[in-house]
Amino acid sequence: MGERLYDALIDGGGYKYIISGLGNTLFITFFAVLIGILIGFIVAMVRATYDRTGKGFLPDLICRIYLTVVRGTPVVLQLMIIFYVVFASVNIPKVLAAIIAFGLNSGAYVAEIFRSGIMAVDAGQFEAGRSLGFTYSQTMRLIIMPQAFKNVLPALCNEFIVLLKETSVAGYIALQDLTRGADIIRSQTYDAFPPLIIAAAIYLVMVVIFTKLVSILERRLRSNER
Amino acid sequence: MNDKLPLIEVVDLHKVYGELHALNGISEKIYPGEVVVVIGPSGSGKSTFLRSLNLLEVPDKGQVLFEGVDITDKKVNIDAHRQRMGMVFQHFNLFPHKTILENITLGPIKLKGLSKEEAEKQGLDLLRRVGLEDKATTYPAKLSGGQKQRIAIVRALAMEPDVMLFDEPTSALDPEMVGEVLELMKELAREGMTMAVVTHEIGFAKEVATRVIFMDEGQIKEQGEPEGFFGSPKEPRLQDFLSKVL
Repeated sequence: MGERLYDALIDGGGYKYIISGLGNTLFITFFAVLIGILIGFIVAMVRATYDRTGKGFLPDLICRIYLTVVRGTPVVLQLMIIFYVVFASVNIPKVLAAIIAFGLNSGAYVAEIFRSGIMAVDAGQFEAGRSLGFTYSQTMRLIIMPQAFKNVLPALCNEFIVLLKETSVAGYIALQDLTRGADIIRSQTYDAFPPLIIAAAIYLVMVVIFTKLVSILERRLRSNER
Repeated sequence: MNDKLPLIEVVDLHKVYGELHALNGISEKIYPGEVVVVIGPSGSGKSTFLRSLNLLEVPDKGQVLFEGVDITDKKVNIDAHRQRMGMVFQHFNLFPHKTILENITLGPIKLKGLSKEEAEKQGLDLLRRVGLEDKATTYPAKLSGGQKQRIAIVRALAMEPDVMLFDEPTSALDPEMVGEVLELMKELAREGMTMAVVTHEIGFAKEVATRVIFMDEGQIKEQGEPEGFFGSPKEPRLQDFLSKVL
């Protein structure tokens, strides 16, 4: 076993694929999460505002179309369409295409998570804010969003775990992420077990660490209310 | 009383929810210093009436004039007017993510431009007044219902409103906590705060109200000073209602 691991990682420089692949995976995930939060926040505000006040029919319609399309098609196809169709004539880095694709994809799920969190805050909170004289947006920012964020933290964490793992399809546009790196080693060494298990273990460790961090944050946010 | 201008005047208010005519042509004036208690069976429109005074319910028709300004006018900055109308809810609606003191100071700091120190000093004074200064740094989840409602009243008072609206302030409380909330409301009334109160507490109405209004089917059916109102009600619906609640 030690020999097989040696062959896979050291002999022939396989570790380089793992390290650079891991770097790409983390890079894509990090920026896709940022884009996802940004898009998700905006879409959730548009949708929640329409739900609560009936204002902004057209923006709400656009958001609903976006959600339907993104959630109704596979992320692999979205990635390939972004890279091979949308940016076909412009030569953009694959990593950038992947960030855009995964960010757009994640935004749809984050939007619905945020929206459910906003709608789950008691309507009385909204009325209390407005009755004090806060504007709609002040009420949202100071009173509703902090509570909504706490409500959705577990679901949001879950979405980012999914996203981290979903980036493993980046190989479809020949992008060398962690999964693709492991696969290259497999094809070079003709030994599938070591590289694939190593890649899987790395994903697992990242998810476990991330879950742990979020549960600490969650506990800290909750503790002050009791 | 009528030599003063009304603080709030509503003109021909209508509000319809599907089949239900919650407000069916309400016209009424509330003068400075009055304590107006609104009673009536459930579904009579009394809460809708109260909530339309600060436009939490937007009437389908009619006007609400606050200090002479028609706040149903879309061009009017409703938020500025709401700052001068305190509201207390049945379910308290304290902000669970903020401490008691932060609940009280949020409005004064963000809306009235008070510094944190000024707002906290004012907040602590108010807390001392209701005997809850030791709760300043705790969160609402730790308080009893009666304490929560007193904090909710204090939060509204911190904005130094010209009128206080109470929407069934004791209906969600355990019986032994009703007294402490009513006591605070009585104190406010004694100090001359203008108040509009929707409640089932007939005792409070008898003792504190300057005027009692009976609502049924979205209309004001009868009103008057407590003595005559409870002593010799004219409207058969009111007689019937009072026979059930007294």
